[in-house]
Amino acid sequence: MSFFSLNGVTMRFGGLVALNRFSMDVEQGSIHALIGPNGAGKSTVFNCVSRFCQPASGEIVLDGRQLLGEPAHRIAGLGVARTFQNIEQLHQMTVLENVLVGLHSRVAGYVPFLPGSARRNAEGAAIREADEILERLGLQSFRDTYAGQLDFGRQKMLDVARALAARPRLLLLDEPAAGLRNREISFIDGVLLDLARKQGITIVLVEHVMQLVMSVADRVTVLNFGEKIAEGAPAEIRANPKVVEAYLGVEAAHA
Amino acid sequence: MNLALQAIASGIATGCVYALVALSLVIVYKSTDVVNFAGGELVMLGAYFGLLLLVWLNLPYVAMFVLAPAAVFALGALFDRLTLRRVAGRKLSKHVDLVPYVVATIGLSYLLKGAVRVVPYTEEVRRLPPLFSGPPVFAGDVVLQRQDFAIIVVTAIVMAGLWLFFGYTLAGKALRATSQNPRAAALVGIPVSTARMAVWGLSSAIAGIAGLLLAPKLLMTPDMGSVVMLAFAAAAVGGFSSLPGCVVGGIALGVIQNLVGVFISPQAIAVTPFFVIMLVLLVRPAGLFGEAVVLKKV
Amino acid sequence: MYGAPPRRQFLALGVLVIAGFVLPYLLPDYFLYIGNVLMTYLVLAIGLDLLLGWTGQFAFAHVAFYGLGIYGTALLHMRLGIPFVFGMPIAAAGAALIGLAIALPATRLRTVYLALATFAFAECAQWVFRTWDSVTRGPDGLRMSAASVFGFSVGNDREAMPVIAVITALVLAATFYLVRSKLGRAFCAIRDSEHVAAASGIDVRRVKVLAFVISAFYAGIAGGMYTLFQSYVHPDGLGVWTLVLLLTMVVVGGSGSIGGMVLGVLLIGILPEVLRAAPRGLLVWQEFAYGLILILAIMFMPRGIWGLFTKSRSA
Repeated sequence: MSFFSLNGVTMRFGGLVALNRFSMDVEQGSIHALIGPNGAGKSTVFNCVSRFCQPASGEIVLDGRQLLGEPAHRIAGLGVARTFQNIEQLHQMTVLENVLVGLHSRVAGYVPFLPGSARRNAEGAAIREADEILERLGLQSFRDTYAGQLDFGRQKMLDVARALAARPRLLLLDEPAAGLRNREISFIDGVLLDLARKQGITIVLVEHVMQLVMSVADRVTVLNFGEKIAEGAPAEIRANPKVVEAYLGVEAAHA
Repeated sequence: MNLALQAIASGIATGCVYALVALSLVIVYKSTDVVNFAGGELVMLGAYFGLLLLVWLNLPYVAMFVLAPAAVFALGALFDRLTLRRVAGRKLSKHVDLVPYVVATIGLSYLLKGAVRVVPYTEEVRRLPPLFSGPPVFAGDVVLQRQDFAIIVVTAIVMAGLWLFFGYTLAGKALRATSQNPRAAALVGIPVSTARMAVWGLSSAIAGIAGLLLAPKLLMTPDMGSVVMLAFAAAAVGGFSSLPGCVVGGIALGVIQNLVGVFISPQAIAVTPFFVIMLVLLVRPAGLFGEAVVLKKV
Repeated sequence: MYGAPPRRQFLALGVLVIAGFVLPYLLPDYFLYIGNVLMTYLVLAIGLDLLLGWTGQFAFAHVAFYGLGIYGTALLHMRLGIPFVFGMPIAAAGAALIGLAIALPATRLRTVYLALATFAFAECAQWVFRTWDSVTRGPDGLRMSAASVFGFSVGNDREAMPVIAVITALVLAATFYLVRSKLGRAFCAIRDSEHVAAASGIDVRRVKVLAFVISAFYAGIAGGMYTLFQSYVHPDGLGVWTLVLLLTMVVVGGSGSIGGMVLGVLLIGILPEVLRAAPRGLLVWQEFAYGLILILAIMFMPRGIWGLFTKSRSA
């Protein structure tokens, strides 16, 4: 049984079937890409895992643990972290605060109104760890800048930093390369490979930027109209006529 | 039993007024996601503009009935153009911050109420003559004022007009398009900001008409706008999204209010709309007619 | 925010408390009255902003909890002889409990419905204050006797000011810690994006409810403060108008910051008094003035006056 899998997940929004008996298996420590044209259902997969919507049927399993019975806020504690598309960010909080929020599930609780050693210790440890994470990802000098004021590439890096703060075993990245320049994409490339190979974090990314997908993914799943139409190594997928058809239309596939 | 029948009959008439105001609220909410807390004051203004035109300028009733709502139309459109457009600003976040809009409409509500109250003329309680005057009509044991008929007739006309407008005219369909998907509408060439102004104008005019219908039944004071609570309750029943729901909600509320007054106590009348609002929002936030929300808000 | 509150904040609190004890010997009663009113407004405004500015929720129910605090503290003293030191916390806790009862269903609602529902609740509460006259003396208003604080009788502005200053300082200190805590950051996260908050492990519903309860508690405390220096309470002062007053303070001062609350209370809180003292009694212009201020503020100064002096949070 693989480390993370979706089995037969069907998600409906009113009359629209966003996912139709979708299944996907992800090996531990691998980088798995989920691609497909716009509206194919990729974000829906993430939203199901994050528990923002409830599938009509199917199951989602992480390391033997069923996720569909859990409320959204428990997912982080189970080892899943995720990034969001740029619209949904903690824009009005500083870079450091963003990472502190990411640490939320790991900081010890304390009474918010009182001074005292429990608070001092918990806050101190959290701030130290947050600073370390920022250092590692090159954001330390922006520590007290509001997230909304960072340039685009750094905002995405911050989002990753926030997700990593939860020490996830499974990291879901929602279009990490969208809007980035080539140099930045290479940087992300390196970060992802480091996370997966050296730190053993399993990564699933939804992505449109093929450059990134081809260079980091171990395996690619292709979605169209809520159904899996292809799955395999990046090179196979690229050559698959069904995939080309989905993106470019029937004629291009048979060109 | 007769009391109940009477309560129901006159409740239908007042309910139609609530329905009109509710329509005004929902039209604006559906198009712009803004809850217009100043809705009641627009009703009040309609009545006072009417009084002004009738008494000071000695215009014939029909002319007043057209010009007063037109004036309120202009005011609503102006508010959108000047204030709301500015408040919308450069927000590109999907997570639209609604607080500034609420603050703006609350501000408008008190601005209008305060402006009217300051004018010495309004210190005295006034009365607007009814559209149809004359002795009340008897139907069995039930008494109906002629103005009640006027209310029902005008409400029906407004509803029919809206139905035709939104369903069959190009302008109406354009407005519906902007409310469903502003970006797509803009891409197709619909002037979205003008459309918004038109929606606010239309909504305000309807509120103004409601004011002209309501004022002859009540005593006119700057606080007349408190009727908006009943409209909110009616709109809530309709889930804030259904126009027919507003009408059902409004009439239901008018009837319920009267029945409460007869069977429970006159004091309880005041609290009825609040109860209905809390009940509806508690039990079924989408109202009786609205669509249930599917993407779970955490 | 994070870490420990800076020392200068505690210094300011110290100054406040000292002023509370010293000023009654230096200033005439009228100014002491203004001071007491402003401090009460400050606690109210902070409570309101915890919901509005920090968590991004509508809190129109705030005045209802204020009223519960007032009537609760006063009646516990007058009917049951419970001294202020116990009466106020009990009344505030009562307000918080009712806040919990409201918050549980209310937090399921989308923002605009939440606004409407809390609005309706506030009006309901005012109706109860008016109609339950066996308890509240309804439209006649309730005459309150002097409170008893640690055995001292506190019934006028001079006697009340030190106590009010101490309570305000305690509330401010607690707030300083709250906004720098895990919970405070959770509030902000929810305001910015509920999805990101949930994905980070924050129980969004629970935190929203908590924000409501804490906000109601603050309002209840403010109600208790009211009973110290006022001798009369009437349901008319516990309705939407008072809420609009508070809202104006929050918006003009600067939502989302404690400094903004202080500014807003200072500037807007004295307006009614200024209008009252003006020649030809301009009090009738109140509504117009506040409406205009609200509109202008939200159009041109959405981050309030405090926001003019602090850096923007967006690009």
